[in-house]
Amino acid sequence: MSQLLPVLVLAVFVIIFGVALLWISSLISEKGRPDAVKGESYECGLPSDTSGSTKISIKFYLTAILFILFDIEIIFMYPWALTYGDFIANGFGLYILGAMSFFLAIFIFGLFWEVKSKALEWE
Amino acid sequence: MWEAIGFYALAIFLIYFAFQTITVPNPIHSALYLVLTMVGLSAAFFNLGAQFIAGVQMIVYAGAVMVLFVMVLMLFDLKAEIRAFSQGLFSGGLKVMSAALLAGLAIGAANSSVAILDKPVEAARAPADVTRQLGLLLYTKYLFAFEALGLLLLVVAVGVVAVSRIRGGTHAQR
Amino acid sequence: MGTDAFEVGVNFAKMVAIFLMMVQIVPLLVWVERRGSAYIQNRFGPNRVGPLGLMQLLADAIKFLTKEEFIPERGYPFLFYLAPVVAMIPAALAFGAIPLSMPVNVEAFSMLGQHWGPYVFKFQSYEIGIGIVFVLGISSLAAFGVLLAGYGSNNKYALYGALRACAQTISYELAMGLAIVGVILLFNTFSFSEIVTAQSAPLNFAFLGHKVEWSVLPNWGIFYQPLGAVILFSAMFAEANRLPFDLPEAEGELVAGYHTEYAGFKFNMFFIGEYGHMLVASALMVIFYFGGYTVYPWLTPETAPKIMAPIAGLMGWSTTSTAVSLLGALLLHVVFLTKIVFFLWIFIWVRWTLPRFRYDQLMDLGWRKMLPWALLNTVVTAVIILVMRHPWGG
Repeated sequence: MSQLLPVLVLAVFVIIFGVALLWISSLISEKGRPDAVKGESYECGLPSDTSGSTKISIKFYLTAILFILFDIEIIFMYPWALTYGDFIANGFGLYILGAMSFFLAIFIFGLFWEVKSKALEWE
Repeated sequence: MWEAIGFYALAIFLIYFAFQTITVPNPIHSALYLVLTMVGLSAAFFNLGAQFIAGVQMIVYAGAVMVLFVMVLMLFDLKAEIRAFSQGLFSGGLKVMSAALLAGLAIGAANSSVAILDKPVEAARAPADVTRQLGLLLYTKYLFAFEALGLLLLVVAVGVVAVSRIRGGTHAQR
Repeated sequence: MGTDAFEVGVNFAKMVAIFLMMVQIVPLLVWVERRGSAYIQNRFGPNRVGPLGLMQLLADAIKFLTKEEFIPERGYPFLFYLAPVVAMIPAALAFGAIPLSMPVNVEAFSMLGQHWGPYVFKFQSYEIGIGIVFVLGISSLAAFGVLLAGYGSNNKYALYGALRACAQTISYELAMGLAIVGVILLFNTFSFSEIVTAQSAPLNFAFLGHKVEWSVLPNWGIFYQPLGAVILFSAMFAEANRLPFDLPEAEGELVAGYHTEYAGFKFNMFFIGEYGHMLVASALMVIFYFGGYTVYPWLTPETAPKIMAPIAGLMGWSTTSTAVSLLGALLLHVVFLTKIVFFLWIFIWVRWTLPRFRYDQLMDLGWRKMLPWALLNTVVTAVIILVMRHPWGG
């Protein structure tokens, strides 16, 4: 708790700060009259056309999912990097490098395959 | 004592967020509540001294998985879904089933944590030490599981690309 | 946050001060950006209001405050208002975990008829044991502010901008995470202050199991991780959505990206978030690769109080060890800020020098160039560290 409490306090403080800023600026700011044309979403002056579903390239989803997978692999390297020095100091350097090199080989193969399969290509 | 107070305060918030996640009709709001749940869970891990797990929870779940969820949900036109899931027998049934599942999980978790409660409490270690211990265990005792996980992630990556290539299903006619 | 009222009060004041420091650096940086861009493009820039145009900042702030409140009709007001507040949180929380100088030792003293014990105040909002992972995790939440803005305004351009920003941020997060693995391999710690302490020493490393020390150069990370530093710094540009990676707000294609519908102070709060990210990025670069708040052999936590002690005496201030420690910490803080300002200037310099990427080039660079190079950096670092540190003799 001793380490978590200041983080929470700062988060609450930032939220209060932000809300207070919004509130103050809404007090001071000029009050505009509602206007049908002004309230429209901005689409470079043309009558807005935001209705209906937007079609998005599947590449965005693919990127996000691949990111999750690679991110997990990278996260697993963090404790490895942290304990690497300890393993070497105790004479298990070759063991820990070997253990990781298999994992890294899978990672590199995966990345290589993704590049080859053109999944990461944005024409 | 402060740990306990923090834990129960966080737990109340967490349960509220999780409850909102499954009861709010708008999928976007539901996903945003799930984000809050994930962040709160990370804070709970942090509070319990598992700092690295808290960081992983934050990076992988809150920062990656939930970004994907929110991104996908925001890009669909969800008006029909909002209507379908806010009322009606089907949606009510789903809610009851979710509640039952949640209750089952809670009872199961409580049951299995009774055994943990009986164990003697170990002396608290410095947070960096806990992460070091985790690393030492992960790359020695659980090495096989670790490598298997690498392979599993590779399979998933290949599967994702394969699925994204399929031309069929509901979008075949477009 | 502390054991008694004094400690809690100081810690809270410190936290607020560091947050406000992050907020007030925004107008200054905007001024530097406008004057700097004018200098680069052979223009004058703002020079009418006050000396060197410095009062322009105040004029801008007042104008931001008096702008009309506007919510797009189709938008979702709650999410629309929530987004700028959420955009500020990750940068503020991440900046709080970064040590800005050495700790200040306060000796026991009496005040208000009470004795207050000796304290050690860290020169940061809070110290987290797993500093690096904490900062990475918090900054990965930055995507939500952008997504909320895009969805809350319910505008095509805003939505596309948010989508692009998200895809780009997550793509470059991989290269960034991998570049940091090299730093952790080198120093074997997650804690920022331990990394800085390791760098306030002469260049020393193990050479095939023997200790080698070379006292000409400081023990900075840049000498071990030049490739990692380049990758990390480039990825930071993409994380902060700065040119040449500012595709989310490419005005030729998307008007202004996710803040198309924002004006006034709400827009300004997005700016606070963006500049806060730049600040965190510069601070990380300085801590990982450029010795943090130390410059060995002149300015280290050992020498700083010795330098400041005669100055404190000269100014007629008391030369108690509390005052000397505080002055020493302030000196090192100035050193840290100087280094940070250098990197912030590079951010601005690059923005006004390089043109913008195309979207496919951006994704290509992130996934097919920087990620493999970062992987190579990790592998080479691991192998070299093993060869160098392994106790070959026994």
